[in-house]
Amino acid sequence: MSLGMRVRDRMNVILQMVTTLIAAILLGQLWLFSIALDAMENRTVSMRVAIVAASISMLACIAIWMLIRFFLRREQNETGERA
Amino acid sequence: MSSHWKQDFPIPSAEDSYVTRREFTKFLGLTSLAFFIGTCATAGRKLFKRIRGDQGQRVAIANLSEIPVGSYKLFRYPTENDPCILVRLSEDKFAAFDQRCTHLSCPVIFDAATKQLACPCHEGFFSAEDGRPLAGPPKRALAQFSITTQNAQIWVSRPEDVA
Repeated sequence: MSLGMRVRDRMNVILQMVTTLIAAILLGQLWLFSIALDAMENRTVSMRVAIVAASISMLACIAIWMLIRFFLRREQNETGERA
Repeated sequence: MSSHWKQDFPIPSAEDSYVTRREFTKFLGLTSLAFFIGTCATAGRKLFKRIRGDQGQRVAIANLSEIPVGSYKLFRYPTENDPCILVRLSEDKFAAFDQRCTHLSCPVIFDAATKQLACPCHEGFFSAEDGRPLAGPPKRALAQFSITTQNAQIWVSRPEDVA
């Protein structure tokens, strides 16, 4: 196996790990979205719940973009190219 | 033997459906952004509803003589789009609730015999005393309003507890 192929394989494995992590965070964001929807529909749910859900969703979004950035930068370092 | 059109117009289908890692991760990031925007929009709508609801201050909804013990009156508060129900439980005891069931928003009706608010859609029952769910699919209590009586009139206002 050539060096290039080995690097590509390793990047694929890392991408799978990163994707799994991102998928988990996305599921969490979906759950937060459902909580915010519920808070909007129901008067008995406090406003704070919706604000906290939006704040955590923002943190999750930032985390996902940082993970992507980390992955792409690492890929660029390893392969020397933008895939 | 391949078709002539395939020779004349070769379509590299494998390359066509190829998604680069950069495109894929970008898609994930944009999905996350969409969830965040959606959550913010719903939170903003909740805030808007609350601000609009705050405009509905203390309002007179009925005369005392209008509602005998064990009966009810429908009204709208704080806006025309918010159906509510006022029930008279005893001579001096009233309770007002959002009429929309907390399960799927069907209007609840008052059953004087059992002193319960019943949702006919899915057999949900709430206590007419405090709106807590007693049976059926609803898990949350009905939103309750503060009731005061003054000058032989019944006044409704927003409760203080829900921020």
